[in-house]
Amino acid sequence: MNTIQSIHINHYILLSAVLFCIGVMGVLFRRNAIIIFMSVELMLNAVNLLLVAFSSYWNDPAGQVFVFFVMVVAAAEVAVGLAILVMIYRNTGSTDIDVLNKLKN
Amino acid sequence: MMQSFTNIMYVCQQSEFIFMQNTALDYLPIVLTFIVAAGFVVLVMFVTHWLGPKRRSKIKDDVFECGIEAQGNARIPFSIKYFLVAILFVLFDVEVIFMYPWAVNFKDLGVRGFIEMGLFIAFFLVGFYYIMKKGALKWE
Amino acid sequence: MKTLYILTALGVIAMLAELFRFKKFLLPIVLIGLMGAIASSVRDWNTNIHYYNYMMTFDNYAILFTIVLCVTAFLWFMMSKDFFGSESSKTDHYALVLFALCGAMLMVSYSNMVMLFLGIEILSIPMYVLAGSNKDSLASNEASLKYFLMGAFATGFLLFGITMIYGATGTFDLRSIGITLKSPELIQVWRGAGGTTLLYSGILMMLIGLCFKISAVPFHFWAPDVYTGAPTPVTAFMATIVKTAAFAAFLRLFITCFSGLGNVWMNTIWVLAGLTILLGNITAVYQTSVKRMLAYSSISHAGYMLLAILAMNNHSVGSVLFYAAAYSVATIGAFTVLSIIEKNFELASVDSFSGLAKKNPLLAFAMTISMLSLAGIPPLAGFFGKYYIFTSALQSGYVWLVLIAVLGSLIGVYYYFRMIIKMFSSGTGEVTNIEISTLQKIVLVITILLSILLGIFPDMVISLL
Repeated sequence: MNTIQSIHINHYILLSAVLFCIGVMGVLFRRNAIIIFMSVELMLNAVNLLLVAFSSYWNDPAGQVFVFFVMVVAAAEVAVGLAILVMIYRNTGSTDIDVLNKLKN
Repeated sequence: MMQSFTNIMYVCQQSEFIFMQNTALDYLPIVLTFIVAAGFVVLVMFVTHWLGPKRRSKIKDDVFECGIEAQGNARIPFSIKYFLVAILFVLFDVEVIFMYPWAVNFKDLGVRGFIEMGLFIAFFLVGFYYIMKKGALKWE
Repeated sequence: MKTLYILTALGVIAMLAELFRFKKFLLPIVLIGLMGAIASSVRDWNTNIHYYNYMMTFDNYAILFTIVLCVTAFLWFMMSKDFFGSESSKTDHYALVLFALCGAMLMVSYSNMVMLFLGIEILSIPMYVLAGSNKDSLASNEASLKYFLMGAFATGFLLFGITMIYGATGTFDLRSIGITLKSPELIQVWRGAGGTTLLYSGILMMLIGLCFKISAVPFHFWAPDVYTGAPTPVTAFMATIVKTAAFAAFLRLFITCFSGLGNVWMNTIWVLAGLTILLGNITAVYQTSVKRMLAYSSISHAGYMLLAILAMNNHSVGSVLFYAAAYSVATIGAFTVLSIIEKNFELASVDSFSGLAKKNPLLAFAMTISMLSLAGIPPLAGFFGKYYIFTSALQSGYVWLVLIAVLGSLIGVYYYFRMIIKMFSSGTGEVTNIEISTLQKIVLVITILLSILLGIFPDMVISLL
């Protein structure tokens, strides 16, 4: 029995849920786009933590391999997101998402 | 199906003895590590302040920049080129993750695995060729 | 399965087209490649092969949806030739669209949660870029950022749901999860271990994530803005291919995995479907911009398709497939006309279409057929789409929801007919010298023919499944 398994799975679930909720709150309440990106990353990392915990709990490596995929996709997403942000910064000179309200009727 | 059934049985059996000996003593090494880490930092900071001689003058405290007087704030948006290289680095860097599972199971996966990984890297090289030809890595 | 290889290869070829200076031939290459992709998926009919340790299953369900996607993509490439201008970066759009198509294909043929996640991301990431492909327009920028933020947020929920289900069942494989959840004795054992809480929250989290992707009310708020801000061809792609793929993924997940636990999610989807149909249709009535109106109408169509998922009987797959095909064809037609009109008007309002029938009968006719099909008027494809979905929902006993849906379509008839009446009224003649390229003419004719043919012979498609 390894170290991860010696802690009860509920603790991992709780920790991940709390991290995930902090991420969700960040996305909902922050106005700076970069901080919103960071909050999304926090959500994904909460998921990664939980995946690794479950993977160890079930003695099944599939969960850990899934974490690799999540990490790679998150990196690609961040690259695209930052590129979009740079494009917006060039046009408006700001990364505040409240600047972007042209499409609302 | 049998697989998942046995897994479930396994979890049910485990849920009792999963509460291992979580005594406070188990956390002693962690506490020690924290103390040593914090102590080292504090020690080094004090020692450098104490050992180093201090002679201040206006010229010495000036921001040094190749003999030219410093201008403006350092906290300005930096070159977009640097940003592009950084982003590309992140993308290419993180893909190395997939080589770890392959490397660990190198013998088991055999020739087939080798070919698949070769294909994966070939896709990468196509991407690398593309960004090179697009001039994303040119530093003006 | 070769379809996926062909599409990937096409994407790579498109990426390198500019460097090797054959971008003039790129459109023919892509169109031929898509035909090859369709042919190769037809050849796989009834084979039911699994690939990569049950990561993907290329069964008839996947094949039919792949064909719908590829045909839509074929029409899309023809309609949006202008979108791929001569400007250097614009040729990359081919590659982005083709990679997005690969993602859509994964979403219709996955049999493992990992592939579902990868498919959604491979589809979404190019779409974020494409939505912002009009780099200097602030509207396009805003659409791109909104789409990205909402997409990433939804992905977070979807992933958390997948993780919860993995925690409860110990596998990512759809079939194993489905078997585990269907057998009562396993459920008995597993209630003791406290797995149900994990499982139920997992199902609801995945539901939230997918509802963001299909833009079901109340997770729809990003859709009108993004649809309006993105360049019109990209909006057409989002409204057809992205939506079809997302629904195929949704249906496959819930049929193979969660059909045994209907009591957990059916009430939720009931409410979502009702809200989506009503809110989508009612809000569409108040829109002046045609693009925005089509955005709200696409939200309401998502509501109708949710009905089929709710019905969960042996007709629901066929009805979703038929509905997706009819809806995609009509939407492509409508967006082709819109993109042609938009050359004259920056943001085409309903008034910009006045007197179109006199100026350009072909455009007006194509738009009329599309609108009639979307409204669900009898001889056309859209009518049978709605008919099959409502029948399958009635068979499962959702009388009230079907009544709501019928009410919604009646509201829909109002705003679709408003467009048609505007076009045939003696307008002020604002629309002047419209140029239509040959390819766009072909697309218009094909969409008209398909809408009518699917309406006359609906059994052709339905009997396949």
